[in-house]
Amino acid sequence: MKNRLKALRADRDWTQADLADRLHVTRQTINAIEKGKYDPSLPLAFKIAAVFGMPIEEIFSPDTK
Amino acid sequence: MSDTRSHTSPQADLKKSTVQLFLAAAAWVGSTALMSFGPSAFWDFDTAITFLAIVANLIVGVLMLYSFFRHLKNMDELQRQTHLEAMALTLGITMVLTVIYGALPQAKVVASAQPANVLFVIGMSYILSVITLWLRRTRE
Repeated sequence: MKNRLKALRADRDWTQADLADRLHVTRQTINAIEKGKYDPSLPLAFKIAAVFGMPIEEIFSPDTK
Repeated sequence: MSDTRSHTSPQADLKKSTVQLFLAAAAWVGSTALMSFGPSAFWDFDTAITFLAIVANLIVGVLMLYSFFRHLKNMDELQRQTHLEAMALTLGITMVLTVIYGALPQAKVVASAQPANVLFVIGMSYILSVITLWLRRTRE
């Protein structure tokens, strides 16, 4: 799954740690999601969408490889 | 609907459950040592006391399991997935190696198979699996 987490975070000038604090996860989890090494669970994806105030499908998209 | 979750931070909860798990594991190791060496060292093979030591070991073992599941619940989802995958890997590795190890006495390669060696394999497999899986996902 592809995501725009890094770009959205950069737009808001948040560090990985800032976003991790908002989502109650570790910084390593944010890093793994951004690098595409880990796909978040549905509840976490919804939390991410809520934090950025955007619909989930504008942040995550299927990997069409 | 009221929020019944704890209001402490997830990191604080994880730290607390880590300490609790460490204490429970230490108590289990202590009660296992007492159960194993107590009959010869302290109570001259009194069956009633040995039975109590076994029951105590069982209770502490259940408490350790409870602490482990609480600790698992306090992890964030990447940590939890890493540990669950490490458990699956550990199960597979232990199964394969235990079958081989169990066949060694029959083949007269070793005199007898010791259960403690299987526990060592479980422990090492779990630790190495957690480290490997975690590094694979989080290496920058």
